[in-house]
Amino acid sequence: MNIILSGIGGQGVVTAGIIISEASSAAGVEVVMSEIHGMSQRGGSVMVEVRTGNVRSPVVPNGKADLILGIEEIEGIRVIGKARRDALVLINRETRSPVYLGIRRSEYPEESELLKIGQNFSRLQFVDAYEMARKAGDGKAAGTALIGYAIAERALPFGRSETERALKIVLPSKALQTNINALHMGMEASNGTKTLVS
Amino acid sequence: MGFLDKILAGEQGENMLMLGNEAVARGVIEAGVGVAATYPGTPSSEVGDVLSRVAEKAGIYFELSVNEKVAVEVAYAAAITGVRSFAFMKHVGVNVASDVIMSAAYTGVRAGMVIMTADDPSMFSSQNEQDNRHYADLAHLPMVEPSNPQEALQFLVSAFGISETLGIPVIFRTTTRVSHQRARVSLGAKIPITHADRGHPGVGSYTTLPSVARKLRAVLSEKMEKAMEISESTDLTRIEKHGDCRVGFITAGEGYNCLYDVLMDHSIGSEVLKLGMTSPLPTAKIASFLARHEEVFVVEELDPYLEGKVRGIAQLKSIPARIYGKMDGIFPKEFEYSPDIVEASLSKVLSMKLDKTGEPPNLETLPPRPPVLCPGCPHRSTYYAVKRAVRMSGLKEVVYSSDIGCYTLGAYEPFNTADVVLEMGSSIGIGAGLGKVTDRKVISFIGDSTFFHSGIPPLINAVRNGSRMTVVIMDNSTTAMTGQQTNPGLNLDGMGIPSDPVSIESIVRSAGVKDIFVADPYDLKNFLGVMLQSLKIDRVSVVIARRECAILRDREMRKNGKLAVYAVEQEKCGLCMNCVENFSCPAISIVEGRITIDPELCDGCGVCAEPMVCPFRAIRVAE
Repeated sequence: MNIILSGIGGQGVVTAGIIISEASSAAGVEVVMSEIHGMSQRGGSVMVEVRTGNVRSPVVPNGKADLILGIEEIEGIRVIGKARRDALVLINRETRSPVYLGIRRSEYPEESELLKIGQNFSRLQFVDAYEMARKAGDGKAAGTALIGYAIAERALPFGRSETERALKIVLPSKALQTNINALHMGMEASNGTKTLVS
Repeated sequence: MGFLDKILAGEQGENMLMLGNEAVARGVIEAGVGVAATYPGTPSSEVGDVLSRVAEKAGIYFELSVNEKVAVEVAYAAAITGVRSFAFMKHVGVNVASDVIMSAAYTGVRAGMVIMTADDPSMFSSQNEQDNRHYADLAHLPMVEPSNPQEALQFLVSAFGISETLGIPVIFRTTTRVSHQRARVSLGAKIPITHADRGHPGVGSYTTLPSVARKLRAVLSEKMEKAMEISESTDLTRIEKHGDCRVGFITAGEGYNCLYDVLMDHSIGSEVLKLGMTSPLPTAKIASFLARHEEVFVVEELDPYLEGKVRGIAQLKSIPARIYGKMDGIFPKEFEYSPDIVEASLSKVLSMKLDKTGEPPNLETLPPRPPVLCPGCPHRSTYYAVKRAVRMSGLKEVVYSSDIGCYTLGAYEPFNTADVVLEMGSSIGIGAGLGKVTDRKVISFIGDSTFFHSGIPPLINAVRNGSRMTVVIMDNSTTAMTGQQTNPGLNLDGMGIPSDPVSIESIVRSAGVKDIFVADPYDLKNFLGVMLQSLKIDRVSVVIARRECAILRDREMRKNGKLAVYAVEQEKCGLCMNCVENFSCPAISIVEGRITIDPELCDGCGVCAEPMVCPFRAIRVAE
């Protein structure tokens, strides 16, 4: 399966990709991952591609992603062309306004405008992962909450125990409990959340 | 066991999820390398980031050299003295090092020496996508190319063996998708570091006088003939068979990965010659491969490097196989491949059923997010003050000559302070040239690490030849863009060992510059004054804008719990929009008509609170 994670530098996009890769590995699934940081250190677009199964190129073909985890709203929508029409597209409700907008005295686009761009993707959903992560103790765990949500939607090739094992491998011990809590909150949220667009 | 400890101490057969570059670092340890040297550059930098932390424990001498040329020279010195050595860099770094590489091929080496070039197809963070495989031909050196992290480790160890057998350096070529690919890697056994002979390298054959070089030239040809024998038999190159093996494919690197996925997706009966050693090419092996197939595709990224040679072999051996590649327009010549690009190319010849993906979504209304300077970045303050100074000086048009580093991002709005950028050190060399021909004021920007790397000779040149320009050396006390590596201006070396810093002021003074200013760009008012002064000078003047990189400062402040963030007092804010329009920090945006500072992004530099940015004094430390 093909997974794309996107967001901006400083949000833990690469870390979330490594968590998915380690968890896939823990579930006995072969995995390759690729990360593109671009030129920015903090605040620029970051995209991570994770592919599982019998594949060798780490690059997801256009229109073939099965799951998109957008850790920032605009950046999540930006990679939507990589997704299949029936892919699960989860967008974390977290906004980071590009300086491009301020220079034009403009504001961040409304959720409805972003939904319009993605209108042909029937399983596009906004998820309050950032809010969950903050409740768990750190907004930077939003990626983990989003992974939890995707697990509960059966959109990843592993479950809770493999993810917890991955969190232990990848994260420093002081961040572990926060992320485990965020993971569980993400999993619980999926059951009650309605699809916003159908 | 921590990740780095495992790279260092992991036993044979253990496995770990590794970045290609981390696997390379493990390969350095497994191969018994005694000396490693680099100048950081994406996508090669993580190799050094690992080595800088583990080298001392591994008994390796590692250095962050002043530039790539010196890195190769240091490694060469080790290899001719009997110590295995490794020099690594990004593709354009090899241009800088090429002078030494060309002649190191002639003299050869005694212990194994490998030079890694990390190429960047599609230019994710480079100024060009030059195909460095051509360097193997230019220098007459063997070349090895891995496709994934596991091969990166194993092929590197093999490359040292090849180098030692032949007595010449070996080029080890990766691309972004190999260096920045993460996959599970099984570790191998470690060869102890051999210091076979640390004595005198030997008299005579390392002195490339014309009379010596003429003899060495013939020796190099003999060595490359032996290299051909290795290339014919090496297990770095393999043949894969799928189904009826009807169609032939010759491939290497990431091209192979993309091809493999397409062959599997479409169950194409094929025989694949996957080359691990791409210089010299195994002529006999390729000839017999071509003879077995009516149709052969050459699948490689960038230039038709393999294709030209494969066509040459077919012609030489009168083999009638139909060969497809880039020269006939089947495959694209530019940018990296992905499985869908390879699929689309193959479908021009082979009958394949392609999925319909539907119209791509229209992203025109989505705001772009060009790369941006970090919150708190001192370069933002420098550019803000420079632009103000230019305006206040009444200078109509200024030509900005910039350089390679984070500050290249000044090219984007709202600063637009990079009219010309080519390569490391170009800001001063081109700036000096511009100063000779344009009647406009020339301002050159160069970072501290880039200045040490290749800014010094052009500065001397500019002074010596009476050029006119203001050079702003943006000293943020680190090599920031590649991940905050140290440089000669700092008091710790590449292994974290205390070292005397080199003074930029002293170098500038010795170069003959008479007008030297040092100022902190966080103090906008003072920095503006300094810029106004320097812009009046009609010869080479240097302004050193000194303020530590925000990421370093931020790390330190967070550790001490001293990071204060700023907020806007809405009653005072006059909504002049200067902060978002002209200062443009990513932490500041307009939310529901109000200027808002994101506390998670704010770095606490406080520059936006200065009256030069906020004339209403509405920005203050948040409670």
